[in-house]
Amino acid sequence: MKTLCRFLSPLLILALVLGSVSATAAPLPASDLVSTQAALSAESATADRERIQEILSRADVQEQLVAQGVDLDEVEARVAALSDEEARQMAEQLDQLPAGASVVGALLVVFLVLLVTDILGLTNVFPFTR
Amino acid sequence: MIRHPSRYFANARPAGVLLLGLLLSILAGCASTPRLNETSERTLPRQAFIEGVPFHAQRDYQCGPASLAMVLNQSGVAVPMETLIPQVFIPGREGSVQPEMLATVRRHGRIPFVLNDSFDALLTEIAAGHPVVVMQNLSLPAWPMWHYAVAIGYDRDTEEMTLHSGEEAQRIESFRRFDATWARSGRWSFIALPPGELPHAASERRTLEAIATFEQVQGAEATLPAWEAYVERFPDSAMGFFALGNARHATGDTEGAIEGFRNAVARRDDHGAAWLNLGLLLRAHDKPEEARQALTRAAELPGPWQQRAQEALET
Repeated sequence: MKTLCRFLSPLLILALVLGSVSATAAPLPASDLVSTQAALSAESATADRERIQEILSRADVQEQLVAQGVDLDEVEARVAALSDEEARQMAEQLDQLPAGASVVGALLVVFLVLLVTDILGLTNVFPFTR
Repeated sequence: MIRHPSRYFANARPAGVLLLGLLLSILAGCASTPRLNETSERTLPRQAFIEGVPFHAQRDYQCGPASLAMVLNQSGVAVPMETLIPQVFIPGREGSVQPEMLATVRRHGRIPFVLNDSFDALLTEIAAGHPVVVMQNLSLPAWPMWHYAVAIGYDRDTEEMTLHSGEEAQRIESFRRFDATWARSGRWSFIALPPGELPHAASERRTLEAIATFEQVQGAEATLPAWEAYVERFPDSAMGFFALGNARHATGDTEGAIEGFRNAVARRDDHGAAWLNLGLLLRAHDKPEEARQALTRAAELPGPWQQRAQEALET
């Protein structure tokens, strides 16, 4: 991934620079309005560098999801439905994000502590305590 | 003097009991029945229950897809749980993560709104008839047991929540136990609404961002009703009218778009992007004099759009 970034970053910078040059050099048709997304990211001061980071993080998330066993046919559509912020969050900390699953690593000591906290109404691990 | 070893053991048991008691009282101190603020105390109904929310029992670790199927079905999307599993479940994590729960809602044409992190927000949405997906840690922070469930009702008199959770439909949980497990996720929750309906318990800014992200995924046409509803709810929002203008323009409604941008600059005279878009549209719509005024205003305002406005003036 590191080497991929090294190659991709200059290319993306070039693409973004060229993109903005051609947009300003040609006469503007009315369809070239400032988009809502662009205005929102300008408000939160998203620099070009962060935009590059977001494009890279989407590629990164795809890679990570495939490594975690997600279907190749699905992965592109899944990542496309994320917001930029969510994509960045996934790229940076997929391993730490809580995953709703309802299982707990069962050690005996843990079992006993959780049994007590269940009875006290602090947790909800064992259905039979209610 | 040498003490007999058995005396240590004689002291150890009461000491242990004391320690355990102390620990538990500390733990118990952390959890209490959640309180409502004064406004919700007065305005929220004593009981609320959303009839007819379909229940899907989770299989294995798939409380994520099950919860999604319930709220999507309730809002009129007839998607079966089997379709959702490959869209949101991560086999390597044996679970589903929060960003992808929201992303999957978008893929099915509904807007996910993350609610304010308060008990008031949760009850407010249930009372408004919106089933709420909540994330809980059913265990303790040290050994987390993350879980998604769908809150469908509450009773303030008995202090109980009703949830479709795991393999149990309409499970009753006391406010206290529910809030203790919910607080461990930072009181994270969301609702899924069709474009045009808005949450009651999400901030103005978050609502705007949720709609803008949906538009990125589903396009302007699908999102237009959401922007219309947004400016009706928040009539002072310049950004809302700006977004409405863009969505109308993308669907071919130039006059509506011009009106949207006019409303945006009327609310915030320093909205450079709105002045610029207004100017460009007016020019394309054969109103060169008004276009020039708008572009001139945009060119005066420092910011990312100033240069484009100046160039547009020169051409």
